[in-house]
Amino acid sequence: MFDIFEPVVAAISPSLPQRGEHAVAQLRAAATRAAPAVAAGDRLIPIAGPIGRHLPAGGLRRGSTVALDGPPGAGSTTVAFQLAAATTSAGEWAAVVDPDATLGARAAAEAGVVLERCAVVRRVPPDRWPAVVSALIDGVSFVVATVPPNLRPGDARRLTARARQRATVLVALGGWPAEAVLRICAHGRDWSGLAAGEGLLANATLDVRVEGTAVRAPVRVARVV
Amino acid sequence: MKRAVHLADSRTGCVWCPDWPVIAARRHADAIGADDLRGRPVVVRERVGSRDLVRCASADARAMGITRGMRRREAEARCPEAVCVDADEANEARTFEVVARAIEAFTPRVVLERPGRCEFATRGPSRYFGGDDALAARVRARVVEVLGPDGDDVRVGIADGVFTARLAARRSVVIPAGGSAEFVAPWPVSVLDDDELAGLLVRLGLPTLGAVAALAPDAVLARFGAPGRRIHDLARGLDPGPPVFVVPPPDLVERTELDPPAERVDIAMFAAKELADRLLERAAERGLACTRVVVVAETEHGERLMRCWSHARSEYGDALTPAVLAERVRWQLDAWITTGETTAGIAVLTLIPDEVVPADGRQLGFWGGDRVAYERADRALARVQGMLGYDAVTTAVVQGGRTPAEQVRWVPWGELREPDRPLAIGAEIAAWPGALPPPFPARVFDPPVPAELVDEQGVAISVNGRGEQRGTPARVRCRALPAGGGPVRAWAGPWAHDVRWWDARERRRCARWQLVVDDVACIVVVEGGRAGIEAIYD
Repeated sequence: MFDIFEPVVAAISPSLPQRGEHAVAQLRAAATRAAPAVAAGDRLIPIAGPIGRHLPAGGLRRGSTVALDGPPGAGSTTVAFQLAAATTSAGEWAAVVDPDATLGARAAAEAGVVLERCAVVRRVPPDRWPAVVSALIDGVSFVVATVPPNLRPGDARRLTARARQRATVLVALGGWPAEAVLRICAHGRDWSGLAAGEGLLANATLDVRVEGTAVRAPVRVARVV
Repeated sequence: MKRAVHLADSRTGCVWCPDWPVIAARRHADAIGADDLRGRPVVVRERVGSRDLVRCASADARAMGITRGMRRREAEARCPEAVCVDADEANEARTFEVVARAIEAFTPRVVLERPGRCEFATRGPSRYFGGDDALAARVRARVVEVLGPDGDDVRVGIADGVFTARLAARRSVVIPAGGSAEFVAPWPVSVLDDDELAGLLVRLGLPTLGAVAALAPDAVLARFGAPGRRIHDLARGLDPGPPVFVVPPPDLVERTELDPPAERVDIAMFAAKELADRLLERAAERGLACTRVVVVAETEHGERLMRCWSHARSEYGDALTPAVLAERVRWQLDAWITTGETTAGIAVLTLIPDEVVPADGRQLGFWGGDRVAYERADRALARVQGMLGYDAVTTAVVQGGRTPAEQVRWVPWGELREPDRPLAIGAEIAAWPGALPPPFPARVFDPPVPAELVDEQGVAISVNGRGEQRGTPARVRCRALPAGGGPVRAWAGPWAHDVRWWDARERRRCARWQLVVDDVACIVVVEGGRAGIEAIYD
């Protein structure tokens, strides 16, 4: 921006006292620091905690779609909670689409999700699912949606495009029939604390595999406590 | 803008039904034929934060030493025979409708402020009925007539302004014009309805309104700011004036047509909430806030019903917020629909701002920040509510309870997020015997998914009356588990629950196990000989 103004100023006021080179350089430096260098759509949502270490650049890029999968009990919901916790605790709004109404909100709160900024849409009929997710993508910056069976790939692609356009992160929980920037698969958990007839569940390790298609991220198998 | 129209000889009447929550509870109990609450002490309780407090007590309960704001437990200890009922503001508003209608026979402009208390302008009716005293007597007689035995203690007061009229209603007197300052002077500052300020004034040696009025106005303004000036005005008997009809700014009126017409409150409510939000938002854009709003409903059959609601502290300049306004609209629609004043569905709903004041003291986020994000989310969530129904969009509130399903309350978007059962009382976490400690399960099935819990020989595990299991859990079969179940690798339990053993109808007996089946940790419950998976640690 200074390049535009300098010749004009020079032309108008050749007689004005010239500022020192040093001051101009300082101004330039300040301008580059102050300029919003990154567009909102390119910004990263940093994900703290063990999952974040295994994500490319340590977070989720706004507008990206993440396919999160795994059999029941393998920990995919826990991964989703950790992603939602990082987003909501930074003051952003999140929404969860939960067609079966089985979400354990207590566990979400324990994972650090700010419940008042996390709307949960329960009992969504499969035919309204794309419309609901699309409306949520418009309104919040992080959507976790449990994918219904038989979702058409066309609908899935439209939602991916919408998320990119609105700079919203879409986490598809379950089989996602379209491309995704990241695919995270939870493999299983190894519980400790419980024995035959005694003890209580204490903690568990979680095996995840992170694959990137859009970003050149290596396939990783990670053990996350 | 209000404060504009002050009719020289206009005065305010106030009708007050003391202990309205108790009266409402009794009338409701009569209406549904529930346990009789008549002739017994009644305590209405409400939850404030995590505390369970007395909201209102009947006269006989008060005689036993129960006061407002006392803890429920203490109230029960002082008067064990008292019947304790939950506060139900919607019911209070609904039952108050008969009183509002009775007063409407005298004047078309009744302003409801909260269930149990309302105001009206007396200028016209006083002249017609032969003076304020005659009007007060007639209004009281009419209200007593419609309330029957509940109306014994109805009080009517008339004075120059709203604040003085309310005080006059406490004593059931008519204050002559210009006598406000003299009348309010002996009242204690606690009637200002602001405990913190009242406490401070008392400590400053100003126990009565008369003492406050004697201060110099600029000194009060310097020490207490704008709110101080307002109370100083009230103490001097200069209050903002009676509810007079002001032509509202026509472009602030919000109106919506419901198609199809709404026959149930919840459907109309959805539109009403949006209307309330829009009205206040547009007023806020002009730097205005509403303290009084007229709710108008028109039905398919052409009936036109209207009622005016004000903020309970409107004389202090407190404005309605979207949640407070929406709640009042809900009460009113509920009252109209359930008392049969509407013979058809509500087709048109209108909110008219009746009194607007300059908005002050509301801080917007810097550069819009949070508020913009909230409004964007709110719009999207309201749209989803429109698609799927009001209850489909929720936020979760963690609350006390034994099972994972009980520990969460799903509150519809836009409603107050309050737990049914507090999780913690003060700093102390409430004990729920039998509740499992963290980690908490990420998937909760309510009701449980049917399963089979069997021992080595394939015999279903059962629990005897002492809570001991027969056999050791060896296999679980269930469709909610991957591969339909598998061998039990580790287990703990059973924890037997005998819930509500004192109530024959609600009693539940069940036993729970925490299991690791293959690699999947889950909670299995056995109740009435049937097993089910209640939660999975996903």
